Amino acid sequence: MFEAQEINAEHKDLIHDVAYDFYGQRMATCSSDQYVKVWDQNSDGKWTLTSSWKAHSGSVWKVTWAHPEFGQVLATCSFDRTAAVWEEIVGETPGPGERGTRHWVRRTNLVDSRTSVTDVKFGPRTQGLQLATCSAEGIIRIYEAPDVLNLSQWTLQFEIQCKLPCSCLSWNPSLSKMHPLMLAVGSDDPNPANGVKVFIYVYSESCRKWTKMDAITNITDPVYDLSFSPNLGRSFHVLAIATKDVKIVNLPHVYDNPNSQNVITKLDAQIVAQFDDHESTVWRVCWNVTGTILASSGDDGCVRMFKMNYINSWKPIAVLRGDGSQVSNEGQRSSVSSTVGPQIQSASQTARYIKLGAISQPRDVPWH
Amino acid sequence: MATFHVLQEGPVNALALNRDNTQVAIGGRNVFKVYTIEEDKFREVCNLRASKHLNLSFSCNDVSWSWTDDHYLATAATNGHVCVWNLTKMGKAMQEQDYQEHKRTVNKVNFHASEPNRLISGSQDGTMRYFDIRAKNAVAIFYSNTESVRDVQFSPHNPYTFAAVSENGSVQLWDVRRSDKCQQQFAAHSGPIFACDWHPENTWLATASRDKTIKVWDLTSKLTLEYTIHTIASIGHVKWRPQRRFHIASCALVVDCSINIWDVRRPYIPYASFNEHKDTPSGVAWKEDPHVFLSSGRDSTLYQHSFDYASRPAKKANPQGVSLNNRGEILYAHKTNVSTLVKAPSVGIIRKTSTTQAPDLFHLASSLMHQFTLSTENKSESQIFIGLAKNYILSGRSLSEMCEHNSAVANQYGKNQISVVWKIMKTMYGEEYLQNNSNNNNNNREDVISHNNLPLNMGLDHNNDNDQRSRGGGDTPAAQFSDETENEDQVDHIAIYNNGFPTYLNIRTGLPKGDFSFGENELDMELDGIMTDFQSGYRNFVTPQQDFVLPNEAFHIRHEIRTRSPPPDKFPNNFPVLSDDQNMPFEEQPNNLLTVSCLPKMPLWDPSSIVLDALKHHAMLGDVQTAACVLIVLGEQRKCLSDLDESTQEHWLLGYIELLSRFQLWNIATQIIKLSWIPAVEQLNQQSTRFNTNCSKCSKALQRIGWLCDRCHSSQYAACSVCHQVVKGLYAWCQGCSHGGHLLHMKQWFAVNKMCPTGCRHLCEYK
Repeated sequence: MFEAQEINAEHKDLIHDVAYDFYGQRMATCSSDQYVKVWDQNSDGKWTLTSSWKAHSGSVWKVTWAHPEFGQVLATCSFDRTAAVWEEIVGETPGPGERGTRHWVRRTNLVDSRTSVTDVKFGPRTQGLQLATCSAEGIIRIYEAPDVLNLSQWTLQFEIQCKLPCSCLSWNPSLSKMHPLMLAVGSDDPNPANGVKVFIYVYSESCRKWTKMDAITNITDPVYDLSFSPNLGRSFHVLAIATKDVKIVNLPHVYDNPNSQNVITKLDAQIVAQFDDHESTVWRVCWNVTGTILASSGDDGCVRMFKMNYINSWKPIAVLRGDGSQVSNEGQRSSVSSTVGPQIQSASQTARYIKLGAISQPRDVPWH
Repeated sequence: MATFHVLQEGPVNALALNRDNTQVAIGGRNVFKVYTIEEDKFREVCNLRASKHLNLSFSCNDVSWSWTDDHYLATAATNGHVCVWNLTKMGKAMQEQDYQEHKRTVNKVNFHASEPNRLISGSQDGTMRYFDIRAKNAVAIFYSNTESVRDVQFSPHNPYTFAAVSENGSVQLWDVRRSDKCQQQFAAHSGPIFACDWHPENTWLATASRDKTIKVWDLTSKLTLEYTIHTIASIGHVKWRPQRRFHIASCALVVDCSINIWDVRRPYIPYASFNEHKDTPSGVAWKEDPHVFLSSGRDSTLYQHSFDYASRPAKKANPQGVSLNNRGEILYAHKTNVSTLVKAPSVGIIRKTSTTQAPDLFHLASSLMHQFTLSTENKSESQIFIGLAKNYILSGRSLSEMCEHNSAVANQYGKNQISVVWKIMKTMYGEEYLQNNSNNNNNNREDVISHNNLPLNMGLDHNNDNDQRSRGGGDTPAAQFSDETENEDQVDHIAIYNNGFPTYLNIRTGLPKGDFSFGENELDMELDGIMTDFQSGYRNFVTPQQDFVLPNEAFHIRHEIRTRSPPPDKFPNNFPVLSDDQNMPFEEQPNNLLTVSCLPKMPLWDPSSIVLDALKHHAMLGDVQTAACVLIVLGEQRKCLSDLDESTQEHWLLGYIELLSRFQLWNIATQIIKLSWIPAVEQLNQQSTRFNTNCSKCSKALQRIGWLCDRCHSSQYAACSVCHQVVKGLYAWCQGCSHGGHLLHMKQWFAVNKMCPTGCRHLCEYK
């Protein structure tokens, strides 16, 4: 089903993050070797390195693209305690039809953190240029560029104390204006006694402040990555969490009511799926653009993909090996370790019908 | 081994261990003490600043302990003095020597490792002085010819060699016997070098600089730069780790309060970090045990650290990255599994690997990156999305035509389910249906009421029909249904059905025979699936006691059927309702078996709630395309969907537009915006539409409508560069040189020329 193409990134150390741009035609990689590389795909699908530069004086943990309406803009964060915003400058074209020289310019360096900056993400496009960072000292910082044409000016809007070292963050990408800004932050603190490792913050436009929501209370294992699903039309939000397994959580919509004085601080979150297929630490979770497929990667060196079927229950659909091969016969593993909620349980009961049909392997499910 | 510390009166600049690592001397501006290192604490032995005659000689930049005689300490003072202290004496006599030879601050002082009584100092005045502590004056003076010497270190390999580093970034190697000229000098860093350290075994010299690097030089025969470590801050101090050939400890001068231990082979991320200090550490001294070391800090502390409490930044680092793009491609970068790579060559040298308990793989970190692309035989979801987006007709025709067309398009792309949704839209909201009810499409309630007033075309027969079918299809007991009919609403509904049903039949019969291009069974399944989906959302028709849930069955069997063609004799089995239904007037319309069998179920419900559920279902499955397109095609009919709040409609439209722009389908996205009825979406086309023009002569912004410049009082600069007439209407211009003119003239000009027609020599790009 999948063809693997090896890309020789020629990073001199571990690659910590890879990111496609909005159109999926460029990608950025970042590594411990302190370099960030930008790649472009040519017409026959081959990736060519177009830029490579030393971005930080420490390991570069994450790289993320801004929406292209703000230009070709990247943000990176690093062990060197800074986050940086980069913009691509296209030089004078030597002639018609020829491509000008390109290089990336550091537009700003955000130096507020006193420890390693572990994640950086641009806010939803509808909010203009916002940038959230989180750090190992447990502080979430939200920056804003008041003038989207001037990427060198960023003001620190909020500092949220999170108490535990943060490892990852995700904005709720919902496009609807009805949904207030929402941030999920994960902590990789290894001690279960330190309590919950996923924090949900909701921004209230009327109070102009971020409020922590009591939502997910039962995840005390270290969280390595989390990601809100793109919400194109769902009536609830979906959050994927990478911890010792893959968890999928449904969160209800929150509506910002300017009239009510008492702020809601509780969200009724529901863990709808839990997969321990990796049987090891899960490092990454990532959604496709429609939010229908979740990909996760773990220490087993595999990318595993999950999809919600027509009866709202999540099922594994494909396994990709990190060495480029596809897992030949994973068989029908009983991967749903525990599903929560009576609705889902009834669904997994009826799912027995699958075995009567022609589907014997998860990968046989038509690619949707 | 525990980590412990002791607090001092002021910042500690330096520390020195004695020969057998039992005692430590620390020095700073206000601190000069000797401690004994015990199991879990430091015990003060002597405070040299307890003397009554304090002077600047007691403020040390550096302290060194004699390697040969445990009683001697040497300090480098900020006032340029080099002092030698005898710990066996008391009071003023402790200060055995006070060399006042350096003109400026002394940065470093070091005892010779093997020669007793020998001592070297390096100063800010650019000189190094070699002392015999028995003599009153320096034995030798070395002029570095640089501004200042920051560090001097005797080589552990050659008793006569020492290295000196200076603020201009150069390293000098000297022979103590030859003070006229240094043996070797090289530029090592682009900034001041603050420290150097000889490797205990190799002929390596590590240098640390303000340029945020630590460099390791091999000084054997030909000078080579072996390793460069990139650090996050200027480095003030470095020290090789004993018994670990590639490990070196570093302290930053600013910013970074942690002590980092690096593996020089992996120069980007520390092997271990110690974060106990609250301010920058000033010195590190290993206790000959690779797991224990002492450090002093500007936070006025002296620490003993143990490797048991080290943090390992590399272990916290995320070793993998995954990204998905809009075409369904997956990018995956992950750490290469080095243990398997290493195993193979180590077979032949078993002895070597067995000496170390666990092979140190820290430095072998590297990543592999793969892109997984959908193989071409599967039409990917994104291609289908693009195909549907491009081929859907969303405006300009009658609702039925559009639905019909879109249904065919969906079918062509293999999306049978979506195809059926369009079909249903057509049957429910198509013109034929509406013509009969032309007066009442404002509100559901009104709908119902006006239907009641219409004459009932069909008699009780059909009412029965509906009843029977609902029993068969929805598995609802007839008794329950009749209970419900007591409800006024239900009565209303039946009234509608009786009215809508015959019209509906008319539409079906009016269709060409080859209308459904997929198999009959399949259609049946599709419809059933959708119908049951609707049911689950419909309040009255799913009873909690139901034994099985039909939707699951419907969808899974679909796959089963796909793999083998259904035997013809199965055909009647697919219509159990029909065969059982005695009241059905089969004879009248034998050609319409299929349509009659499954579609009359629909009028059982108010279509708006069904449609709403269907759209929500699609939106939830990530297929916002269907939801948004159906809403658009419905046009005014969408007002029937009164339960669908505007925010959801907006959400769907914005979602679809977002997806379209991801696939760079700008024209379609713009079309959607144009067709939208929600102000927030419509606005999208009205943003950034303003163009400001400037006079091409004086660059003043043109304020008026037209091309008259207020400054030049002329509009001649808005003239066409080719025909020199003032352009009225469309003015095509080059954004590079701002010259332009009539579109046609520009076209003609650039068909043969590359340069601007005005002769400004700009290479205009015109395509």
